Amino acid sequence: MEIRVNPTRMEYNRLKGRLKMAERGHKLLKDKRDELMRKFLELIRENKKVRQEVEAALSRSFANFLLASAVMSSAAMEEAVMYPKAAVKVDVKTENIMSVRVPRISVAAAGEEAEDATPYGFADTSAELDSSLAELAGILPQLIRLAELEKAVALLADEIDKTRRRVNALEHIMIPQLQETIKYISMKLDENERSSLTRLMKIKDLVRGDETA
Amino acid sequence: MLNVDRYAYAVGRIKVMETRLLDRDRIERMVEAKSAEEALKVLSESEYSDYLAELADVHEYEKILSAELLRIYRELRLLSPEEKIIAFFARKYDYHNLKVLFKAAHLKEQRPELLLPGLGNIPLEELVRAVSENDFRNLPLRMQEAAQKLVAKFAEDGFDPQLVDLWLDQALYAELADDVRKRKNKYLRDYFTSLVDLTNIKTFLRVRRLQRSKNFLAAVLLPGGSLDLLTMLDLSDPLEVILDRLASTPYAQVVAEGVQLFQQTDTLTRYEKLADNFLLERVRQAKYVTLGPEPVIGYLLAKENEIKIIRIVLTGKINRLPVEEIRERLRDVYV
Repeated sequence: MEIRVNPTRMEYNRLKGRLKMAERGHKLLKDKRDELMRKFLELIRENKKVRQEVEAALSRSFANFLLASAVMSSAAMEEAVMYPKAAVKVDVKTENIMSVRVPRISVAAAGEEAEDATPYGFADTSAELDSSLAELAGILPQLIRLAELEKAVALLADEIDKTRRRVNALEHIMIPQLQETIKYISMKLDENERSSLTRLMKIKDLVRGDETA
Repeated sequence: MLNVDRYAYAVGRIKVMETRLLDRDRIERMVEAKSAEEALKVLSESEYSDYLAELADVHEYEKILSAELLRIYRELRLLSPEEKIIAFFARKYDYHNLKVLFKAAHLKEQRPELLLPGLGNIPLEELVRAVSENDFRNLPLRMQEAAQKLVAKFAEDGFDPQLVDLWLDQALYAELADDVRKRKNKYLRDYFTSLVDLTNIKTFLRVRRLQRSKNFLAAVLLPGGSLDLLTMLDLSDPLEVILDRLASTPYAQVVAEGVQLFQQTDTLTRYEKLADNFLLERVRQAKYVTLGPEPVIGYLLAKENEIKIIRIVLTGKINRLPVEEIRERLRDVYV
């Protein structure tokens, strides 16, 4: 399908310009897509690794927690952990990957004795609670790294999707359309030229016939 | 009438109630059960059967346990000629409620599900009122002092949840120790001293593992025990030295065995179990007393122990823990 245009030389030049631009854009976007893809695969691989680690660590500490909760009454357990003591400061910055803004989250424990994750008394709590909470606290930085990675992956996937759609639109619709339209105009122009040429020849014949007559 | 004679009726009834405690066979059947439902079924032949009908789901087993605990306290309060005996053991629930209220107030939340109404000696409304109005005048002296100290401290340095637990625990055990001194009952004194000593040894090991300071240790050790751990032991001592120093105490065996596993796996699971068993052995002495408060106390503690066992088994069953993991934590039974 071509674009409806006036088959003029001016339009022809304008479309040629557009075609050139589209081809250049297409090439650039394709490069961008490939690079995004490469980064994406890298991130995905790391993401998978971190996720597996986090999941293993989490299930381990949940199991610990479970055992701790088995030897304490649920009310005592809840009371022990209802008010957390350790505070964590989370700082979010953005990083630019191929003009995609991905979050960079940094964690810093805030306050003194921040490594101390036991906000409870020792009289009626089980020692198993100590270890499971310490383990949970240890997972936090990794958990946040995972959140950062997952968000980056999602954002990149989104961007890849958009870029690919643009590349495809350029490749399969925009560029062929332009090419066809250009072809149409050039044929129309040629046709016009030929018809004016024949008209000229015809007129020339007529004029010459008048002279000889 | 002699003081102990008043217990004739109570002891008679307790002896009957004791026969209804879960025995080792029942517990064993629960442990061996294929599913949590099946384990629960074992309970249907016991005192717990009344609650089972109302239970929609195994996961709500905690409801059964708290209902049973409430029933036992209520019944023993009526049964015991001296309510004070029961009040002694109920006091921990007052302190639990106070801790929850303090923390909830600072979280600006209502956490009614964590409160234990009906178990403690002080009506819950009184505690709620005391915390919300900052007026602790009607509370027992030790509790009142601790609460006022906490409020003053928080006004100055901000809220610290651990302090709530630590100071109130201190107050609770100081209050219990006062009581033990006043009552002059050897059985109660032996039990309480062992409880405090074993808890303190455990706390010592926990503080040592968490690598906290000696000052912190001094703040968490409970009053009322027979050992002065602060001077006996040092946090930097290797485990062998600690074992050695405790070798002349009655807890030598518990510590030796418990610490063995602590060295290998860094868990105090075995120690906690052995300590509970040690205490239960002390509690069991009540069986040889025919008249007096001892059987009542013994039954109460046996019941608390039984509830703990059921919780361990059911938690294990619901989460499909291997049988050994459950056994590892299973306490002895009283009967």
